[in-house]
Amino acid sequence: MSQRSFELPVLGRPAPVDHAAAAAAFNADVARTDWHDDALWFVREKRDRAAALVPDWEDLRERASAIKEHALSHLDEYLVQFEANALANGMQVHWARDADEHNRIVLRILSDVGARRLVKSKSMLTEECGLNPYLEANGIEVVDSDLGERIVQLRKEGPSHIVMPAIHLTKEEVGETFHEHLGTPAGLSEPIALAGVAREHLRERFLAADATLTGMNFAVAETGGFVVCTNEGNADLGMALAPVHIASVGIEKVIPRAEDLAVFLRLLARSATGQAVTVYTTHVHGPRDGQALHVVLVDNGRTKQLAREEFWGSLKCIRCGACMNTCPIYRRSGGHSYGSTVPGPIGSVLTPGLDLERYASLPFASTLCGSCTAVCPVKIDLDGQLFRWRQRVIEAGYTSTTKTLSIKASVKLFDRPGLFRVAGALARFGLKIMPRSVARFVAGPWGRARDVPPAPGQSFRAWYRKNRGERS
Amino acid sequence: MSVKEARDAILHAVRAARPPAVAMPVARATPVATADAQPSMLDAFVDASTAAGAAVVLGERRDIARLVTGGVADAANVLSTVSEVRATVELASDPHALDSLELFVCSGTLGVAENGAIWLATSDMMQRAALFLATHVAIVVDAASIVPTLHEAYARIDIRAHPFGVFVAGPSKTADIEQSLVIGAHGPKELTVIVIGASALQTP
Repeated sequence: MSQRSFELPVLGRPAPVDHAAAAAAFNADVARTDWHDDALWFVREKRDRAAALVPDWEDLRERASAIKEHALSHLDEYLVQFEANALANGMQVHWARDADEHNRIVLRILSDVGARRLVKSKSMLTEECGLNPYLEANGIEVVDSDLGERIVQLRKEGPSHIVMPAIHLTKEEVGETFHEHLGTPAGLSEPIALAGVAREHLRERFLAADATLTGMNFAVAETGGFVVCTNEGNADLGMALAPVHIASVGIEKVIPRAEDLAVFLRLLARSATGQAVTVYTTHVHGPRDGQALHVVLVDNGRTKQLAREEFWGSLKCIRCGACMNTCPIYRRSGGHSYGSTVPGPIGSVLTPGLDLERYASLPFASTLCGSCTAVCPVKIDLDGQLFRWRQRVIEAGYTSTTKTLSIKASVKLFDRPGLFRVAGALARFGLKIMPRSVARFVAGPWGRARDVPPAPGQSFRAWYRKNRGERS
Repeated sequence: MSVKEARDAILHAVRAARPPAVAMPVARATPVATADAQPSMLDAFVDASTAAGAAVVLGERRDIARLVTGGVADAANVLSTVSEVRATVELASDPHALDSLELFVCSGTLGVAENGAIWLATSDMMQRAALFLATHVAIVVDAASIVPTLHEAYARIDIRAHPFGVFVAGPSKTADIEQSLVIGAHGPKELTVIVIGASALQTP
């Protein structure tokens, strides 16, 4: 039902993602689609309750947005400041222009110390870079330690959500995966028991790790440190035990000051899961005694997005996932349908910037209802950006011939009042004589799940003339 | 591949891409916390910490040993940075040695009323590992140290003072299997928060 979110290098261009087709496949199981929808809506409601308890919530959102806009509009200065302070704190700083360069840097750090076993905590950036298959192809054992990520890793899938990687799976499916890979009894699907087995299994990996890799939620320019948020404590166990720590981060994650953390942290967990704060909010400002701490700053398309006047605001994202939980399309199509590391509304505005032709269908995976924009803690105008990406897709000619032709036909129709009147009369007549099933067929995808309303007796124009006089 | 080459290329690309400058918002007006607000902040802290899954107990410094051992009275492997609780294991030089630690007792710098988090910071790598390897963690925090929100917390702490600092709110947990809450994911399965000095707070 799913595929890994990265692609191994292949010759030629990868096939474009067809979100509508993937969503249709997901929807084939109606009960499961409802279950997935409910699971995400449950998280959305928790977010609402948590946000309502903070009296200055809207002020925080304004502030968070403004701080990010300030940081992004001075990003070179803050990157240089972060680098200088991180170096002074005893970290080693690397720069990677793209995914390939990032992966080679990580492999070199590991190879230089002969590390074979890497334990990772959640990092969407390394998913984006396809780090795991690259390292595995080079003889490194890679273990994802976040429980949800470990589950999908064992199943050879990618995460379907950036905060809840295994939200698409039932406990029975997790039980089967653990039975196959971790030797739990067949049929065991009780979450507490399964999590207990995962704890033992992963504790061994933590103790045996030669190196650990974490992401960063925030990098702080003023102090040269970074913040990692988890509930499980997995990033912390990795950092506390392994002799080598690599922290990979997209360049857009740099914020100016320590005090700004208060603004973002009050918003992040409440928006993500409805918690007041994550269990662990860890601040790292240097290596432990004897540990090597490497920071890898990664561009991989971010400077291109920053240069796009219409879309640079998407880089404000703090990866809470609230836009996914609220999105009626995401909830009913599942994260894998986007074929992108980051799914949902934010993925659909970030990913087209990487390869517009391949991800041309994503800006259309939306009803433009704007719910994503309403919940976004950093006030990204997600629905506006989705709409603008649609225009870029049409301009580039990456839409289907049917869509292009029907849009062209609509333009002609709406441009000619006489033709419009004739078409209206024909449609009213047609709807009267057509059987419902034929009418639904003619209505196209719109009619698949809806009945077509009965035709009105007259046009609006005729009604207006009759009731409002001859002014038109 | 030169490090400087990648660095310069990225910084050059950022400079070329910079959106029009947006000013940093003016600092948030923080209400001045008064001493008579402290008891209600303590209540909020206890509620938030309990909601995060911690067992919160109130007492005095002299009671710490009794309050800590209440839940894990027969713990054989104990590490403590609090003088009232005696450690039974010696600090080794390798954090891996703490894998079988049953109880770790330490002191927090301050508590946050709004979310129940406690700030801990250390340069000691053994204490850092103990916080995540121990099955049961107990943190002592002074009632007078509780601040309303993270804004006041960051105004009081220096995150750069130690290589490691953390806000802790509750025991480790996961909801990655069908959104079912499971306490004790990788780190401690239980967190006891001992709030001392509550009786000394001025009552409104």
